Amino acid sequence: MDKKKKGKIISIFLIAIITLFISWILILLVGTSFTKACSGFYKGILGSSYNISEVLVKMSPLLLCSIGISVAFQTNFINIGADGQLYIGAIIATIVAMYFNLPTILVLIIALILGFIFGGMYSLIPGILKSKFGISEVINTIMLNYIAIGITGILVKTILMDKSGYFPMSPEIEASFPIIIGKTRLHLGIIISIVLALVVQFWLDRTKSGFYIRAIGQNVRASRCAGIKINKNILISAMLSGGFAALAGVFEILGVQHRLMVGISSDFGYTAIIVALLANNKPKNCILTSLGIAALQVGSLSMQRYAGVPSSIALLIMGVIVLLHLGNEALFPFLYKESK
Amino acid sequence: MNLVSMKGISKSFFGVYANKDVDLEINSGEIVALLGENGAGKTTLMNILYGIYQKDDGILKIKDDDVCFKSPKDALKYNIGMVHQHFTLVPSLTVEQNITLGENFKGYPFLKTKDREAEIAKLSKEFNFAINPSELVKDLSIGQQQRVEILKLLYRKAQILILDEPTAVLTPQETESFFEVLKKLAKQNCAIILITHRISEVLKIADRVVVLRDGVKELDDKTKNLNKNTLSKAMIGRELKKQQIKYVPRKEVGLSLKNLSSIGIGRNISYFNFDVLKGEILGVAGVDGNGQKALAESIVGIRKYSNGKIFIDGEDITNLSTAKRKESKIAYISDDRHHDGLLLNYSVEENLLLKGDASKKYYKKGVLSKNILSQDATSKIDEYKIKTYSSKTPIRLLSGGNQQKLILAREISEETSVVVAFQPTRGLDVGASESVHDKLYQKQKEGASIVLISTDMDELRKMSNRILVIHDGMIMGIVDNDQNLDITKVGLMMAGSGVKNG
Amino acid sequence: MIALITSIIAAAIRIATPLTFAGIGEAINEKSGVINIGLDSIMLSGAFVSFYVCNKTDNILLGVFAGLISGIIISLFHGYLAIKGKANQTIIGLALNFFALGLTSFLFLVGFGTSTELPTCRIVSNISIPLLNKIPILGEVVFSQNIFVYLLFLTIILSYIIMYKTSWGISLISVGENPKAADTAGIDVKKTRYLACIINGLLGGLAGSYLTLAQLGFFMENITNGKGYMALVAVILGKRNPLGIFLAALVIGVADATQIRLQTAGIPLPSEIFTMLPYFVAMIVLLFSIKNNKDPLALGTPYERNAR
Repeated sequence: MDKKKKGKIISIFLIAIITLFISWILILLVGTSFTKACSGFYKGILGSSYNISEVLVKMSPLLLCSIGISVAFQTNFINIGADGQLYIGAIIATIVAMYFNLPTILVLIIALILGFIFGGMYSLIPGILKSKFGISEVINTIMLNYIAIGITGILVKTILMDKSGYFPMSPEIEASFPIIIGKTRLHLGIIISIVLALVVQFWLDRTKSGFYIRAIGQNVRASRCAGIKINKNILISAMLSGGFAALAGVFEILGVQHRLMVGISSDFGYTAIIVALLANNKPKNCILTSLGIAALQVGSLSMQRYAGVPSSIALLIMGVIVLLHLGNEALFPFLYKESK
Repeated sequence: MNLVSMKGISKSFFGVYANKDVDLEINSGEIVALLGENGAGKTTLMNILYGIYQKDDGILKIKDDDVCFKSPKDALKYNIGMVHQHFTLVPSLTVEQNITLGENFKGYPFLKTKDREAEIAKLSKEFNFAINPSELVKDLSIGQQQRVEILKLLYRKAQILILDEPTAVLTPQETESFFEVLKKLAKQNCAIILITHRISEVLKIADRVVVLRDGVKELDDKTKNLNKNTLSKAMIGRELKKQQIKYVPRKEVGLSLKNLSSIGIGRNISYFNFDVLKGEILGVAGVDGNGQKALAESIVGIRKYSNGKIFIDGEDITNLSTAKRKESKIAYISDDRHHDGLLLNYSVEENLLLKGDASKKYYKKGVLSKNILSQDATSKIDEYKIKTYSSKTPIRLLSGGNQQKLILAREISEETSVVVAFQPTRGLDVGASESVHDKLYQKQKEGASIVLISTDMDELRKMSNRILVIHDGMIMGIVDNDQNLDITKVGLMMAGSGVKNG
Repeated sequence: MIALITSIIAAAIRIATPLTFAGIGEAINEKSGVINIGLDSIMLSGAFVSFYVCNKTDNILLGVFAGLISGIIISLFHGYLAIKGKANQTIIGLALNFFALGLTSFLFLVGFGTSTELPTCRIVSNISIPLLNKIPILGEVVFSQNIFVYLLFLTIILSYIIMYKTSWGISLISVGENPKAADTAGIDVKKTRYLACIINGLLGGLAGSYLTLAQLGFFMENITNGKGYMALVAVILGKRNPLGIFLAALVIGVADATQIRLQTAGIPLPSEIFTMLPYFVAMIVLLFSIKNNKDPLALGTPYERNAR
């Protein structure tokens, strides 16, 4: 077998061991017993069917955003703007639900379509700024995150505000995606996002337009020489990326939270970057990694409740894992040493 | 006086020997040619002497000191300097800054620009280099940049000069004057090591010739005892193939450029007018960087035009995209296969897909057919004798020659009207080069119009029906490539004196 | 009116100070060929460690020192993965931001608990320079600031001299433009790059210290809140020139100072209209500054001498 492949597989186990070790130290630092923390973590994610469903509820927006981010990263469009794009989707869903007097099913479908389109357009802004003017999309997507949150803030204080209350939030939205397991918050979105991950993976792997997207990320000049239109394809990947993230926003409003306000995203768009990086930018891998990260987040929240370990341990551990993953060739050089 | 003495030098990369048990002695006042094919280990051996690589085995002595250089800095202490094939200059810095880079001069670390510029100007005058030390390197011609590289070494009092393929970027006339400089240096007791694969040059300039083949020393003798045949035999293990009789093109025009001018980064072409017949190879000669890239990219459609038209088989393709052009049978072999031609992390198969709309045949109803692709890949691997473990192997694991064969397989195996071959044999050994040439001949016989852009005059003489000379983005003239071809005249045209002919 | 403008500019300088510190560090890093978009991680760790040490020891100097060290550690880690590991530098920087955010939030909660009372620390006081502070406008804007601001002026001048007037600056450029050329000239490419990373960490750590020890006197989760990205804007806008970076940071600072004024002016509009202002300004100035902006040729590419 390829030495490199073998090294990669061993490195996964190494990363797992190191991560566990670090978690152990962190928990000791808090002054709680490791077993207590673990049982808190376990209860949080597998304690009951409701807990399991909560992990999946968290997984859905992470998966959708990470599919989008993967597609963008494939063309080296470093989209850090998924969070803002998610807000755009949420705004559109709220507007459609509040102002379109239509049967629920139509509201849901129109919200998905319009959310996708507007999220895509929002992401086209940094796309165009990159392809036409050469401005780093890293900065612009970040700026647009703040701007999207600002727009949300303005809207929930004005035209989308719940006039019966005093808080900056929209009225409760009735239209809802069907719940797939009774007495939980698990909605249809999770199934749709898993299907989408597989479809997008198929598109990347097995179609010409998908190949173009991948080729650009590998080698821009060679792609241009082969007649692939670079700017057009970067824009396509940017747009799709924003569209998928916006879908996450639509599902959050119409599936889980039912009210628009600043703070509906618990940094889904940022966390999804980690999901995509751990998945090596492959949408199909995102299914597993988003499940893992969602479990980590839900579990650590429960660990905070049961054992008093700050839930920010989840972010810290994610950071450790992603750094170990990205830097594994520098950190574990012995795995990759060529035998002379 | 004996300056360098290498004994039993060996070096391997990933288990493959680049040098094996090489002995080499260099004396002061001597010009030694280090001759060999691409991949014979010449550059590796010199990089060991210059401290870029470290030897695995053997003894290296400089003036009786046993040494093992960890970096070029160490080598410089022993007055060893090297001019690489790809210049090691920083374009955005001035000549003076480039020359004094990394030096601990008086007043360090504050810049004393004036004093040092004067010093360099004096040195430059001594060798008739005509270099202005305050100019930015990016504003200099290639020939001037090379002189800056040599000045850099002289400024550092280098006594052993290693020059890696220095004439590749020069016109024949520039080469002549460059050789004069070398002789002058040798008279001042410098030792000069010339890395080259051009036999004709070796016979002209070197006092002694050392031939490497597959990392092993094959021959070491005074030039006066040698001739072309003994050298080529030592270099490639057999005598060169007899020149083939040139194929006579058909009377129909295949590719036609009418007043074509390009716009874009770097040197552009202006008002290009020429026809290439079906079954004709039009060689394009010129010093590197005189518009060759713009010409190739204009025909393929990667570069935009400011005016003019371009026709294939009488059909106007001026406004067609690159993707459409590839479909209408333009093949492009770039001079830079890693950057322009391949996805290095992807498999042999997936690299076949990299052909614009012409990759349609691999898709069934828009979905990639893995069967069709892998069958086609297997048959191409057979036909082009591509050495690879399988069709799923990442292309980065293939040798340069095999990578180039894959590009040929992708670009020209289908019916092709026009082939743009830009330095198609750059960096390949003789065997691989010959197989590339054979494939081009085959395309020629099938009636393709071939534009062969090369800086290697020998290659152009061997392959072309006619030779177009390019200078400063303009056509200096087109000449027939036959017995009557006057190489001196071509050289003058490459240097910019226009000779309208043929 | 003049009083208003003076106070806005004085506030702008205070906002621009951390951006400029971090920006100059990043500019030096980028000139050497290594891009680190994880400035937030450096600043965040600097801010937290400075605060922690100052809170526990009540010694500002010790706090600043600890902050610098932590910034250098983070930056060197990025450098190690980028220079030795040849990982994608942008992505590594991004990942470091997550890591530092998680680490500082976690340690903050572990160290100080979740009491309702916000833990605080001493902050540096303003130093008025006698006589000079009497100059109209300039006196208040420039010569009545805290020690960090004076340190910033010193940093700008020093880094400018180093980058443009010494051979170190030339070496730095050569390593970022053509590492092979630098190598063959006897310059140690990796050492130069690591050194640039250390400077980046040092200045970024200083920027972080400034936030807790000069501006706020307390720490909270995600205290930098994207300031690292704003510093990146300043780097691009200022074309990697220390003076240019300071001016660019001032533009952002003025936008931010103005919006804070507008928010408190009692205009009956949602406050978000104003808080969005600096981000809009950043995007627009980037759009107009992008012409003739040349990245170092080897930016983002690791150097391997033995590459074949």
